[in-house]
Amino acid sequence: MRRRPGLQGLQRGVETREHFRNLGDTVKETKLAHLQAQVASFKENLEKFALSHRDEIRKDPVFRAQFHTMCANTGVDPLASNKGMWVQLLGFGDFYYELGVQIVEACLATRGVNGGLMDLDALSLFVRRRRGSRAEEISTDDLLRAISKLKTLGGGWSVTKIGSRRLVRSVPGELSTDSNAVLSLAQDKGFTSEQIMQQALNWEAVRIHHTVEALLRDGLALIDDQDPSGACGTWHWVSS
Amino acid sequence: MGDFSWPFFYTYPPYFTLQPVKETRQKQSALWIELILKYCRHHKVYQLTTDPSDDSPLFSNQSINRRLTQEGRSTFLTELVARGNGLWLDNNQRTCLVLWHTAEQWADIVYEWARSLGLEGSVTTVDELSTGDEVQGTELAGMPRAVLMEALKVLERRGKARIFKGAAADDDGVKFFK
Repeated sequence: MRRRPGLQGLQRGVETREHFRNLGDTVKETKLAHLQAQVASFKENLEKFALSHRDEIRKDPVFRAQFHTMCANTGVDPLASNKGMWVQLLGFGDFYYELGVQIVEACLATRGVNGGLMDLDALSLFVRRRRGSRAEEISTDDLLRAISKLKTLGGGWSVTKIGSRRLVRSVPGELSTDSNAVLSLAQDKGFTSEQIMQQALNWEAVRIHHTVEALLRDGLALIDDQDPSGACGTWHWVSS
Repeated sequence: MGDFSWPFFYTYPPYFTLQPVKETRQKQSALWIELILKYCRHHKVYQLTTDPSDDSPLFSNQSINRRLTQEGRSTFLTELVARGNGLWLDNNQRTCLVLWHTAEQWADIVYEWARSLGLEGSVTTVDELSTGDEVQGTELAGMPRAVLMEALKVLERRGKARIFKGAAADDDGVKFFK
């Protein structure tokens, strides 16, 4: 026989829920306290770690990259703030800001040649030469990190992958997929022609024409009409 | 004199083709003008021509099989003239005097030279300014008459010199003033 719900039954139900809620709150609180303690001890340990390995982090690009990966995994960004403990601890901020300025300089200096699209390796070479032999070693990872900070400034900073090369873009604008296809086609020899494009990409003449026009307009391609083999309209991709 | 070092773009084929996009063309033009002035100064070349059969290494790079066309040469020389670093010698604009120092700068150099020898107030022949013993070893040595006359005209305008016409061109003289 089923008992019908009575007043007492209802009251008991309310009490039970109340109990559970109280219990839940306590558990939440302990958990929070526990987590806070964990975070605090984590931060402390990370600080300790950073401090004791300070010199390695500063001098060794590989170690620095690993440190950054570790920080990223735990959701810490050592470059997030200029006033944070990281800057005081490691002098990180200055390091990357300085690097950022050098990157901007390099990109501006070569913009006339490459139309604002600079090969990452070339950039690395340029910046290293500029820094001289007495400065701390820098790695590609450092460059990418500094560039990602430059993005905050606007101005279209980005890193594009074309074929096996990475290119740093310092002028606003997006490369269309068509432009990308043509650039990667040209990357081995340094140039391509309408004929090569047609054979490799199987595009219609109009599409090729449009893409080439856009690249020319952006200063990413130059025309060369003196191809010794006689193919007309050969054009070159500029890279430094 | 030492070896002349070519800029990177000299071995880059598309730079021998006039670029259609305005901004790219301006960059190209600026680089070529810089090269023309540097090259002419290094090799003491005072005259250039737009004639494409002229095989001067300045305008044709055999190693990459590229050369500037007449249109290309003409374009860059016109720009050179517009910047005060060149002077057309004929109405057809085929031959161009290259002034790696502008006429104003040459005027300063000539006057400075005259002053250093204490020639103010005295007369000298125009020829002596480029072939005389006193100019050997200076930048004035071997200067073509056309360039020299441009410089002297500037000095005349400034009231620092006066040109005298001789019976023959060789006899032209110049007097420097304080």
